[in-house]
This record gives sequence, structure tokens and C-alpha cells, in this order.
Amino acid sequence: MNLDGRKYVILVFFILVGSIYLIRLFFMQVVDDSWKLRAQEIAEKRKEITPPRGIVFDRRNKKVVTNRSYYNLMMKEEEIHDFDTVAFAKLVGWTPQEVKDRFYQIKKGEGKYRNPNTGKLQANYQKQRPYPFIKELTNDEITRIAPHLERFPGFYEDLTSMRSYPFSGGANIFGYLNEVSKEEIEEDRFYRPGDQIGRAGIERYYEKQLRGQKGIKYIVTSALNNAIESYAGGKYDTLAEQGPALHLGLDIQLQVYGEKLMQNKRGCIVAIEPKTGEILALVSAPSFDPNILVGRRNIGKNYPKLLLDEGKPLYPRPLAAEYPPGSIFKLLQSLIGLQEGVITPESGFPCTKSMVGCHNHPNATNLPDGIKNSCNPYFYYVMRRIIQQGKKKSIFEDAELGLNEWYDYIMSFGLGSQFETDVTGMRSGLIPNSAYYDKWYGHNTWAFSTIRSISIGQGEVKVTPLQMANIAAIIANKGWYYTPHFVRSIGNKGPLPQFKTVHKTKIDAANFEPIIEGMRRVCYEAGGTGKRAVVEGVTVCGKTGTAQNPHGEDHSVFLAFAPMENPKIAIAVFIENAGFGGVWAAPTAGLMIDKYIHRQVKDKAKEQMIVSANLLNIKAKPKKKK
Amino acid sequence: MRREDSLTQHVDWWLLSIVIIMLGMGIANVYSAAYNPDHPNIFDFSQKYGKQIMWVGISIFLGFLVFLIDSDIYRKFALPIYLFCFSLLIVVLFTPPINGARAWLGIGSLGIQPAEFMKIGTAILLSRYISTVNVKNQNVQTVLVALAIVMVPMVLILLQPDAGTFVVFTSFFFVLYREGITFDPLVLKVVNLIPGVRFKDTWVGSHFIPILFYVVFLSIVTLLMGSNKYEFTFMRGVLIPGFYGVVTVITVIALIAYLVLRWISSKRDQRRVLLIIISGWLLSIAVSATVNFSFSSLAPHQKDRIELVLGLRKDDDGKDYNRNRAMAAVGSGGLFGKGYKKASVASVRSNHVPESETDFIFCPLAEEWGFMGSLVIVFLFMGMLFRIIVIAERQRSTFNRVYAYCVAMIVFYHFAVNIGMNIGLAPVIGIPLPFFSYGGSSLMSFSMLLFILLKLDSQRRDVLF
Repeated sequence: MNLDGRKYVILVFFILVGSIYLIRLFFMQVVDDSWKLRAQEIAEKRKEITPPRGIVFDRRNKKVVTNRSYYNLMMKEEEIHDFDTVAFAKLVGWTPQEVKDRFYQIKKGEGKYRNPNTGKLQANYQKQRPYPFIKELTNDEITRIAPHLERFPGFYEDLTSMRSYPFSGGANIFGYLNEVSKEEIEEDRFYRPGDQIGRAGIERYYEKQLRGQKGIKYIVTSALNNAIESYAGGKYDTLAEQGPALHLGLDIQLQVYGEKLMQNKRGCIVAIEPKTGEILALVSAPSFDPNILVGRRNIGKNYPKLLLDEGKPLYPRPLAAEYPPGSIFKLLQSLIGLQEGVITPESGFPCTKSMVGCHNHPNATNLPDGIKNSCNPYFYYVMRRIIQQGKKKSIFEDAELGLNEWYDYIMSFGLGSQFETDVTGMRSGLIPNSAYYDKWYGHNTWAFSTIRSISIGQGEVKVTPLQMANIAAIIANKGWYYTPHFVRSIGNKGPLPQFKTVHKTKIDAANFEPIIEGMRRVCYEAGGTGKRAVVEGVTVCGKTGTAQNPHGEDHSVFLAFAPMENPKIAIAVFIENAGFGGVWAAPTAGLMIDKYIHRQVKDKAKEQMIVSANLLNIKAKPKKKK
Repeated sequence: MRREDSLTQHVDWWLLSIVIIMLGMGIANVYSAAYNPDHPNIFDFSQKYGKQIMWVGISIFLGFLVFLIDSDIYRKFALPIYLFCFSLLIVVLFTPPINGARAWLGIGSLGIQPAEFMKIGTAILLSRYISTVNVKNQNVQTVLVALAIVMVPMVLILLQPDAGTFVVFTSFFFVLYREGITFDPLVLKVVNLIPGVRFKDTWVGSHFIPILFYVVFLSIVTLLMGSNKYEFTFMRGVLIPGFYGVVTVITVIALIAYLVLRWISSKRDQRRVLLIIISGWLLSIAVSATVNFSFSSLAPHQKDRIELVLGLRKDDDGKDYNRNRAMAAVGSGGLFGKGYKKASVASVRSNHVPESETDFIFCPLAEEWGFMGSLVIVFLFMGMLFRIIVIAERQRSTFNRVYAYCVAMIVFYHFAVNIGMNIGLAPVIGIPLPFFSYGGSSLMSFSMLLFILLKLDSQRRDVLF
């Protein structure tokens, strides 16, 4: 028996095992990446750091939306021992049962996530992880609780930041934050459960800018999930970046003043800087203090109240309420008439009162006086000339042609369509054209006499207060406008591109002169309807409106810009069911203009009159038949 | 006698260097794996690296003692040494269990494991016995005595229980095979009972051990690979289950073996080589297929049990957990590794891989040094094994040669099982990686095994028979 050869058998075993292991190692370590992913899954954790949201400034660099520190009371079950439920409940001001319920709620609900592999919801509660036991404690609350926490091992405070509104105004502009919904988390990978998202207003529209850039920290963790060190010395970490500051065209003091003037009233004020289209104030009444919607607890408590409030404080009236414009529309009819050449500044029409009603005033012998007197028959005639120009033989076809031409003019003022402005919840208003009436009455069955009520801004015509204010801005600019907007600069990068393009109306600048003169006479000449809007030291151009509406007493409307020579503010005031425009809306507009231009209101009596007026409960007068 | 001339005159420097390198790397590796930032000093004896340094010091001191003592005593006192270790093995069974096994003698962390030293005793007595047996005259009695020397301690070790060391003791069967002590006398006794049959030897009886080893190895690999969830995708959508991977590997190895053997064998032998390789290839595939398909036809609870033993399933003890995490640690090393002390999965501090300083010491090593580090380790062990075989084959005395083979096979088993379980090719049974794993007993027993071998080798010329 030759045993010598057997050493080779043994050597072959050595080589076999050694080479198989080397091949295996080569595949595991160099070729196959799945083990590297597995190792990352096991030992490396991504920690996201949410930066504070971007700050919002007004046009005078006042912080209008800022962040404030709040505290979460955190718990780590692993470290809790000898827990005295009763004492703890007393400390935080709960009942012992509430404390127990919260424990149960955290264990069952927190950290729940959808397993991407199985699609099932999985509880991911871990004893060694911290969870917020009580969220969003104020500084006062935590200073009361914190000193006693050492009696409760496993509990500690953790700093978070939430929104704060130093001026307590502009709730309808800024919007509010709330926790992201499950759908939003699934839609956008940026969000994690518990993150905040803008729910309305600027917070929502500029969400992507304001939320900033999350920082990511990679850490090596142990089997017990404790962080050990930063991965690769922090080479792959990124810093959290706060979102850029938003600079608004808003004047927060004007805004707050407007809200004060509008207290106990329903309606809105919109003020725009004509040169830039920047919104100076956007008051929606009734309004509320935005600070009452900060944090989960506040939202839970106050949101339902606001939702059920009769005055609909959450409804963005300046953007979404569609009112009949009333006499203010006469300004546009005049401009179109001049542009079409169917009237001249010297045209006079008698106040016949046969077709439409009017109040008592001398016959207007020229256009500015027509405006000053707000003579309904005057503009009935103007509108008839615009619609029935006699270009077609059939009055129906003639009316159709005339109306559609008129429609194109009106559309160039930004009416009948939504502005691309930087808030959400806007509506377009309504401007009828031939197609609209065809649908209503049938083709070739209607003429001017059918649709005459639109000549004085009644009937089918609907505009939003923002659009009204923009009309004032257009008149102030003599024919052009920028889309009204809030944010004049994101960080230092300027506004969004759509706010840098000029929109031109189809009216020549020269045709605005008699209109502006008419608006001046409204405020300054005998028989003018808007004399209460007059402000000392500036020339105000305005126009009253008294919008009939099916909901009750007429809406009081006033539209103005000032100063006449170099317009700095264009304004529209709507006060619901307050009657004639000259009584309430005009002085409100005047006070706003005074406040904006002089920073100080001199006419305290007028101010007191408006502030103290309660126009909420005016009896609805019986519906008027036309 | 010139043996007093110098203690180190005829030392095999190759083997000694490999041992010293491994000891050094072992300390560095334990320092990295068990590093505690609060105790950065490597000589801090409250930490595992401090203790490991102490154990290395003790091991080297023991090595010195071995060199001072004449190598003849191992031959002379083989039985007393064996019985001494054996008695320790009995005593240990009456100690309170630690982690479910009665394996430790001594106080606290400074205990020793008698099973580790039993390896030395068994190796010495086995060498002593085989050196007195004439292989050509072996009979049933000689085979049974040789088996008894190996298997009686195995029974005691199983009682502890210590599955790892138990498996390691089967390495002695390879030594028996090398020395021609085979199961043939037993097989012949049975076979020759058949009337008219009169064999002098049988092929299966003589080569029983390597065949068994190969079949077991292949079966385990087939089971581990066959249940591989990460199946290869071939072309588009065609999934190749793990079993075909095994077949592919067998085929590739057969082809390589054929090419190599054709190159080194004479023309006359080429037909025979071809025949052997083809039959080996077919038999391997047959074994692998049998294992694979008989496994899949097993009842679920039987499957579960086998999968548990192989560490393929998660159970309450988390065996799959260890295997999977160990593999993640090794696999994440990449080509060059994450760098010294940078292991994120396998470090003791992170504790993702339990026992990463002892049984899973290969994990931090492979994670920190990557494939290059793994390559160095495998080559070091291969070098050590080859060198021991070279030493074994140059001995004049049978005692020395058998002893050298014992050492080679023990080291080989530790290497194969330990690294195998770190890379998912062996079931998870806890045995240390020689010279690398933290622990005094294993370090001391391996040092003594190696130093006795070095001493025997340095005195090989003194032996006249």
C-alpha cells in the first residue's frame, strides 16, 4: 500500500477549501453589492435635521412671520423607572388616566409606518427610542415642568420651533402650518410623519421655498440603535439649510390698521401699489389672530370654531368673494366708450330715469360729471352706444358683435379670469360674453335692452375685490398693471417671473384723463358721491359703488387711488350689506390712504366712527325686483 | 548529541515567522474590534486587548518552556499527558455551566477550556500509538484503539456540550487516513463474511474518511447554496436556483483539475486521469442533486431542523441573525476595506455581530481590510498548512510526522469552519480562528501545539529511528 500519495489528497483538500473561500470572498466583497446595502441597513442610520422655516418680512423689513421656540416633553421608556403616575400627572396638569392613555397611544401609534415590502402598517415602537410625550409646550409651561423632571428619569425636554406672528394680523394672507397628512408623505419624499406643511396662503404657495433644505447626518449605530459616531467622519453629511426669507410688498401696519377698521363688519379691503402690483394690504373681515392656529393643540381647539363661525373668517373674501361691482363698473364703460370713439369727454346724456333708476342730480353735460354723479341713465346710454354700434343690420347680431368687443376690453383689465397671483383659493369672477347669453336666452334673441343692467355693474357681472383694486391700479397707471402679488423678493432673488411682466389694457393712456378727472370730482366737487374719502394733503381719486345683491342690503363699495399726480396706493373697499358706498366704504378707503401715505391718521373722529361702527346686524331689506 | 549547542539552531523559521505574524495581527485586530474609546491604551488589562496581550505573553512564555524541555518527553509521557487532560475534561463536567455549557475551569474571565488542551493530549497519544503500529499488520484491534483515543474525549466534549470542538476532533480521522489506519479491517470483516469473497483491501474502506469529508462538505455547501434566496438571474427572467450554482462550480473545478492534471501527468496516465475526473464530476453532481432533492422532499419540520442547524432560519436564538450580519460585515468590506478601526457592522461597540472578537473575529478583519485583507489571511493559513505538511514529510520518526499531521488537520479544521461560517459556507458552530480570536485557552493550546511541533522538528536529526 503506497501511503505517500495520500499527502496529496490532504493538500488537495487544503487548496480546494482555500480557493473556494477566496472565490466566495471575492464575490461577496468585490462583485456583489447587496451585502454592502445590507450592512448600511444594519449599521448606518440617516438622521434628518429639519431647519427652521424661512422668515417672512413686510415691505418695511418688519418680521411678520417668524419662528418661536417650543418644547416637546420627550420620553424614553428604556430609562423610565419608579414612575409615579399620579405625581407626574399632577406636574403636567393631566389626570392619571390621561397619562396612561397617552402611554398606550404612543406604544400603539407612534412610529407607525407602511412596510414597503408588505404594504402593511407596522408599529415600530422601540423602548430605546425617544418619543414626544407632550408636544409643543410653551416656554412658560416648560419652565414650570422642567425643574421637577429629575424626579422622572426617562423624561426630558426637547427644543422645537413653531411659527409666531408678532403683529397678530394677516391670518388670511399668511395661512398656517399643520402636520403633514399621510397622502402628502406618500406624494413627496421630503416629508416625514410629524413634519409641518403650509396649509393656506403664503405658507402653502411658497412651501417649497420656506421649508428649506433638510440636513442629512449619517451615523453609525449600534444594535441597540444608539448613535456611536458619525459615519466616515461626517464626509457625506449635509447641513440643514433654512429656507430663504420672503420679502412681502405687504405693509403690516396698514394691514393691521385695516383689520381694526373692519372689525364688526363683513367685507374686505385690498390695497395695491400701482407701480409694482405689490399688495399693500389684503383685509378680510371678520378675521382672526393667526397665533391661534399655531401648533397641534391650538389647531385642534380653534380650527373647528373658525370653521363653524357664521362670519366665515377662514373664507378669503378678497380673493374668492364674487360681488357685483356696482357703479364702479361705470369707469370701465367710460374708458371703452372713449376708446371705441362712441363718446367723447364732452358727451352729455340726460338723466331720464326711464330705463334705469337714478337719484336726483343735475343732468351730466360731460363725462367727468357723469362719473361724479354716478348717473345710471348716463352710462346706460354709453353702454348702448358701445353694444349697438349699428355695424350689423340685425340688432341681435349687432349686439352680439358689440358685446364681444366690449368683452375683449374688459378681459384686458384682468377681469373674468384668475390672476396668477401667489396665493391659493382665488376665483375668477364672471364677465358675460355672447356665448354666455346665447346659452341663457338663445342665439339672436337678445339685444342691449336685454342685458342693460351690466352697464351699471349689476346683473351677471361679478368681480372679486382683488380685481376691483387692480382696476384702481390700472386707472392710476393709465392703462397697465402688474399681476397683483405678495412676494416682492424670495431671499434676494426678486419675485417670481410672472410678476415681472407688464400687462397692457386695450385702452390708450390719453383716454384715462377724463376718467381720472371724474374720479377727482367724485371726492372734491359739490354733488360728488365720495367726499368722505378726502384725505388732507393728498388728492384722492375715487368712485363709489352700491352693489345691489340678492343677499340683502346693498354692499357698500369704494374704489380709489392716491395721490392723483403720483399714485402710490390703489384701493378697493367692500363692506357687505352696509348700503350706499359713500357712507362707509369711502371713509374707510380714505383712512387707509391716510395711514399708508402719512403713517399717521389725523382725522381721529372719522377713525373712531368707522372703528366703532357695527355693521354686522343690519336688517336685510326685502329683495328688490328689477 | 549536539542539542545543547543552541536552542534555536534548527528551528523552522518559516513556520515560526508565520506564527509570530499571526499573533501580532491577532492583537491588532482584537484591539480594533473591541476598541473602547474610554480606555484607548492597548495595554489596559481591563479591556479585551489588554488581556489578549497578556495571553500572548503567556503563550510565548509557554513556547519558551517547550523549547527548554527535551522533545523526547512527549513520546515518553504521552499517556500521562493524555490522562491528565482527560481528567480535566471529566472534572469540568461537574462545574456549574456558563452560557449553557460546562466548558470552563477556573475563576471568572481567567478560566481555561480543558477541551482545547485535550487536542494536544490526543495528538500526542495518537502519534505515540500509531508510531508503534505496523500499518501492514493492522487489524480490528489497532483500528479500534486508534478510534478510542480520538472518540472517548469526543463523547465527553459532547456532554459539555461543545459542538465546535467535537467537530474539530474529527480532524484526527484524516491523520489516521494519512497513516494508513483505515476502516478497512472493519469493512473486510463484514465483506469477507460473504462466501467466496476474499478481499485483501477495499477502496471504499481505505478512502472512507476523505470521501466522507467530501460528501459532507458538498452536502453542506449544496444545502446552504440551494436555499439561497438571492438567485442569479440569467438572460432575462430566468432564475437559476442556488443548486445550479453548485453544479456550475463543480464543473468549473473539474475542468480546471483536468487541465492541471493533464499538464503534470504523463501521457500514459492521461486516460486514467480523464476517467477519474469524469467519474468524480458525475459522482459530485449526483451527491449534490441527491442532497438537494431529498432535502426538498423532506417533511417541513425535518427541513426546519436542518435549516436551524445550518443557521438558515431565524429562530429564537437568532442563528440566522448572526450569520446574516456576519456576512453583511464581511461583504461590506469591498476591495480595500473601510480602514483600521472603522468597522461599522462588526465592531464590538456596535454589537451588530455578536462574538465579533471571538468566533466572528474574521468579520471586523474582512470589513476593515477588505478583500485584500481576506486574501492575506487565507494565504497566511495556506502557507502555515503547507509548511506544516513540508515539516511533517521531512521527519524521520513516525511520531513526529503523525503529530505534525495532527497539528495541520486541527488548524485546517479551525480555519475551514471558522471562516466558512463567517462567509456563509459553513454552519454557525462556535470555534475560534487560531491566533486571531480573543481567548486564552485557544491561544495557549494553539501556541503549544505549534511550539511542540517546532521543537520536535528542531530535534528531528537526534532521532535515529
